[in-house]
Amino acid sequence: MNRNKILLCLPLLWSGVWMQAAPAQAPAAPTGTPAMPQPAPQPAAQPAAAQPTAQSQPAGYVQEPYASPNEPQNPQMFGMEIPLLDPSSDTVSYNGAKFDVGNNALVRARFEKYLQQNPENSSAARAYRRKMEELLKVTQRTARTRKEVGSETLLLIGNGLYEMNEYPGDAGQSGTLASAIASAVSVQYANRARKNKNEKLEAQINELVQKTNFMHNTNALRNRKTVNSRGESRGGNTPPTNTFLMAHNTKRIAGMEATSVKNDADNITQTELSKINYQSVLVSFLMNRRFDHALIGACSYRHIYRDGDTMMKLDKESKASELFEGTAGLPPTVNSIASMAAGARHDVDQNMDAVANLLAQNRLADATQHLIQAVAIGEYMKSVATFPVEGRRRIAEYWSLRKKALSSMNARDYGTLEQISARMKELDPDFDDSMLVSYCTARKQQSDMCLRNAMKAMQAGDEEAFNRHITEAGVIWPRNPNLQKGRERLEKLDNQDPVREEFKTLVARKDFRTIYNEQERFEVVAIDPNLKKQYKEVITLIGTIDGMLEQLDKVAEQDRVMGPCMAYETLLERREQDERFADDSAFRDALNRYALGAHDFVKALEDGAHCEERGEYGSALANYYRAQCLYPRSAQAEKGARRVSEVILKSKF
Amino acid sequence: MARRSRKKANKGGLPLPLILGGGVLLLLLAVFVAMGIKPGGSSANDPQGANFSIPEYRLDASRFTGNSYRIEGRVEHIETMGNDRIVAISVKGNKQERLPLLVRSGVSGRVNLTRGDQFVFDVVCRTGRDASGAEVKGVLVVERVETK
Repeated sequence: MNRNKILLCLPLLWSGVWMQAAPAQAPAAPTGTPAMPQPAPQPAAQPAAAQPTAQSQPAGYVQEPYASPNEPQNPQMFGMEIPLLDPSSDTVSYNGAKFDVGNNALVRARFEKYLQQNPENSSAARAYRRKMEELLKVTQRTARTRKEVGSETLLLIGNGLYEMNEYPGDAGQSGTLASAIASAVSVQYANRARKNKNEKLEAQINELVQKTNFMHNTNALRNRKTVNSRGESRGGNTPPTNTFLMAHNTKRIAGMEATSVKNDADNITQTELSKINYQSVLVSFLMNRRFDHALIGACSYRHIYRDGDTMMKLDKESKASELFEGTAGLPPTVNSIASMAAGARHDVDQNMDAVANLLAQNRLADATQHLIQAVAIGEYMKSVATFPVEGRRRIAEYWSLRKKALSSMNARDYGTLEQISARMKELDPDFDDSMLVSYCTARKQQSDMCLRNAMKAMQAGDEEAFNRHITEAGVIWPRNPNLQKGRERLEKLDNQDPVREEFKTLVARKDFRTIYNEQERFEVVAIDPNLKKQYKEVITLIGTIDGMLEQLDKVAEQDRVMGPCMAYETLLERREQDERFADDSAFRDALNRYALGAHDFVKALEDGAHCEERGEYGSALANYYRAQCLYPRSAQAEKGARRVSEVILKSKF
Repeated sequence: MARRSRKKANKGGLPLPLILGGGVLLLLLAVFVAMGIKPGGSSANDPQGANFSIPEYRLDASRFTGNSYRIEGRVEHIETMGNDRIVAISVKGNKQERLPLLVRSGVSGRVNLTRGDQFVFDVVCRTGRDASGAEVKGVLVVERVETK
């Protein structure tokens, strides 16, 4: 695990949830709770087919939570290829790996809160950061000197930390470090006291040993004086000895030796405990992304504990030990913490420089990614905390759009998604929306195609297919505006029986005009194949009549003399061609209207016909000629004249 | 213009002029009365057939049966069957009417009936019969044509 990966882990540790694993161990399905309401239920076979495995899913691809069986996975969009939180699946992708952070919402909420905060540019904040920089310089400078425990430098650091602790934004971190240093120093003082005590004990032991040894020699000398050379006792009283005193001294020496050993053991134990306590504070700072405090603490460590032992006392099974897996297998040390903290500070500053540059180029997508990374890692760093409010607002708007886009995609609101995409394109000209637009277009067309199939099914009278296609169209694009039409047709399907009966009645009464005027209501009868033909004929017939009447009106309007004659004769011809024309009220009205306008012409034709019936062929022919004079292109008059002329010519007079 | 000729009345003998004048007056009176009953009828005072009304002819041509007229008109249309023709003429002062005349073969003589030319037609209103024997009433049959 490289350093970046370690840094990536920090916010996750901070959020209380550790990364699960690399892609190979990543769970196949996102574990986050979907934020959007669930649309129409999917077929039972969907989940298995829709849930991608980490190996099969390209990095950055996010599985749509409610994908339909044939629905492709969401394309890589919104720039999620850099360590980036994906709100739709609560995952973090980085270097091709996907990490399930579970409580991703917490990190996301902190980032959004950060975007809405004002920069920490108050005088207190500036003083706090100035003090922090001073302490960093002090610790780094004194790291090269050899000062004793409790030196002025440590006192300066401690006092400085206590001063910084008063700043609200510090959240008590400086006080914690100061207390840890003070506690460690106290332990060192206690150790020194025990060491001094042991030295005194050693002196006392030596003195007692010398006294006891002298007593022993004295006793031996006295014994030699009371026994002759041949070993015979001279008699008389036994000389006095220091046997009891010696025993007492021996007992005291043993006690003091034990005390000394105990003090040494206490020193060792207390030192180890103190180191563990201090190192845990340092690790805590690292995990909480308090890199400045971690760096100060690590530098101070070498002056508190002078034994040169910087090994970290970590349980190998603990999650904290995983932080140091990237140290090439070497045992972690306090120096590792200092190195990580310094590296993190450097990376965060670099990210913030990149954010400023990208914003200047209006590359909001890239700027957002870098800022997320910077905030996730170095939220308490000066460069992050003092990021200008203008940049925050711009990125906040872009971030909000991206959230809406993801929500819209999950809700399959492709219309809104395209609008959001267009807005994102406005904000960031470099934003590549081609894949997103293509995706939306394809889905919309797919939905419309289903609607078209539904229409065909309805026209074919296949209600089952109609329901299937209309449902599929809704699943693909729930907010498809054309769906409303489908719903209306569904309602018509439900009410088709009364309409069908009414249609039959109107057809029987030859009231085609009413059907035509309410054709949308009667369209549903087309589901019945038998009525479909009648419906089409009625619509075609009345449509033809209306079109014809409209054209005749225009012609009659242009020529008020012959126009009505032409219109009248045309209507007569059409009535002869199709008797149904005479059943239409509008047609009849028009015929009467034109007959009135072409009264002389009509009378001549009618008189001609009447005279012809009575055998008055001379009058009939004269009437037909009269009609031709009024309207020379009259086919009725021409036919009548020709017919009568033929009779006359064949007759004998 | 139509000009009508009436069957000749008796003008022979030498009665007293007064008696003759009275007879003529009575005769003319009878003619006027007769024309009041039969509009298309002939009149000695209407030798040009000025009172021939095409609208009345269109209404009931059989009322004109038996009457002869001399009608001047312009040929507007000719319908031919074999050597027989039906000529539609327009009379002066009424361009919105056409009067159909039956011109049998040989009637026109050397006169060549062409469209657009003026002619004087001597016609008689007759009733004929078709092949089935049905009456064909009120047809103006041309007896002579003159070039105007």
